[in-house]
Amino acid sequence: MSRVELLEADQVPFGTRPFFPAEGPASPIVGALAQVPELLEVAMPFIAVVFGPSSVDLRTKEIVVLRVSAKLGCRYCVQSHTVAAWDAGLSVQETRGLCGEPLTMGGREDALVAWCDAFCAVPEPVPRALTARLREHFAEHELVELALLAGATAMLNRFCTSLELPTGAATLARFEAEGVAA
Amino acid sequence: MSVGDTLRAAIAAGQVGDRLWLYSNYHCNLRCVYCLTESAPGVARRLLAADEMVAAADEAVALGFRSLGVTGGEPFVVAEMPEVAAQLARRLPLIVLTNATLFTPRLLARLRPLADLPVTLQISLDSADPDVNDELRSPKNFAKVVDAIPRLVEMGIPVRVATTGDHNTAEEMERLCALHRRLGVPDEEHVVRPVVRRGRASENDMGVVAAAKDLHPELTLTADGAFWSPFAPTVRGGRLDLDLLVSRTRLPLERPTGALLRLTAANPEGTDTSLNIR
Repeated sequence: MSRVELLEADQVPFGTRPFFPAEGPASPIVGALAQVPELLEVAMPFIAVVFGPSSVDLRTKEIVVLRVSAKLGCRYCVQSHTVAAWDAGLSVQETRGLCGEPLTMGGREDALVAWCDAFCAVPEPVPRALTARLREHFAEHELVELALLAGATAMLNRFCTSLELPTGAATLARFEAEGVAA
Repeated sequence: MSVGDTLRAAIAAGQVGDRLWLYSNYHCNLRCVYCLTESAPGVARRLLAADEMVAAADEAVALGFRSLGVTGGEPFVVAEMPEVAAQLARRLPLIVLTNATLFTPRLLARLRPLADLPVTLQISLDSADPDVNDELRSPKNFAKVVDAIPRLVEMGIPVRVATTGDHNTAEEMERLCALHRRLGVPDEEHVVRPVVRRGRASENDMGVVAAAKDLHPELTLTADGAFWSPFAPTVRGGRLDLDLLVSRTRLPLERPTGALLRLTAANPEGTDTSLNIR
C-alpha cells in the first residue's frame, strides 16, 4: 500500500535504531523517515514535542489534530489520532463528530473547532474574529502552540497521504476492540 | 566547537579516519566474486558527478580531512577520471582503487600528470597463480595487472597492491610478495585484507561479518548518500544496504561529517576496528 519502502529495524541505518521500538513494528512514519536519517533525527524530536505533553492539555491538542486531519482528508492521521483522542479522553461520539459534523462541545472547544476549520480553508486567512474568539479561552503562548500544532498536523497529513502510509496494525486492532469501524 | 574542529580532534584521537572516500561510480568491467557492491558491466552506474567530487574535496580541505580516496565500481570506466584524479590530488593526497585492466597506452598517457601529484593507485592482485586470481576476479585479470603495474611504476606513479581474502597459504603469499616486488611494488605497499561478508561476497557465502564497530569510520560519499565507511554502501541482490547510511545529504560536507561525528561520539579515544578491516 505504501508508495515508499518502510524500513524495518533490521534494515535501517544504525543511527536511526533508537527511534525503533525494541519489539514490534515501528510507526510507518518512522519506517519511511528512516530512509533519510538526518530527517528522522530532527523530525521525531520535533513531532514528539509538538504532539506530546506540553502546556496545552492533550485533549485540546487531539481535537486540533483530529479536526485538521479530517478536514484535510488524511486517512492515516484520522485513524491514528482517533485512537490518540480516545486515550486523551474524548468519547467515540466526539471523535466521530470531529470527523464530520461536530457536536457542541462547549464554548472553548467549539471555538477551537471553528478555528481549525478556518485554518484548513486555504488560501483564505483565518478570520481575525475567530482568533479573537480563541483568545477568550487561550493564552498568547497557547495560540502559538496551537497554530504550530495545526501546521505540523497539516504537514504530516500531506506526508502520510502522499506516501499512502498504511495505518498501523495496533491502531486497527484498537478500532476492532472498541467495536468501531475504522 | 565547529564541525571542522571536532573532526580534527576526532582524527587526532583515532576515532575517525582522516580520509574522505568518494564512490565515483558503481559499474565495472569486471565481476569479482567477493565484490561488495555487486559491480559488473551493466549495473546501475550511480555516478558521483566530477564537479561534486571536486567540490567535496575543497570542503574536505576546509574541514580538516587529510586525504582522499576514490573507489567504485571501477573508477577508470568513468571517462574523465584521470583529469578528476589530478584535480582531487591538487587538493589532498589521493588514493584511487582500480583493477588496472583498462590502462591502454592512451589512458596511461592521460595518467602521466599524476606522477607529479600525491597520487597512489591501489591495484587488486589476489594470487601469484593466474588461474586462482582470475577465478576470483575475472578472466585475463592477472595478465593485465602484471602488465600495467610496471608501466605505472616506470611512469613514477606509486602503486599499492591489495590482496583480498585469506585463501593464500604462507608459501603462496610468499610467491605473491615476490611477484609484487618484481613488479616494482615494495612490501610496505602491499596490503592484505579480509573479504567482508557483504554484497556479492555474502551471496557467495564468503568473508567475515562486519558491523559498524568492526569498520573504521571513514566518511564515504556515494550517489545514494554518505556512509560510515567505504565498506558500507554495499549492494545485495540489486538492493543498496542502508544499515551503515549516515545521511542522504552529501554537500555541504559539513552535514554528513557532523552526522558521522555524532555517531562516533561514544567511541573512546583510540577505539579501532576489531577486525582491522581497512
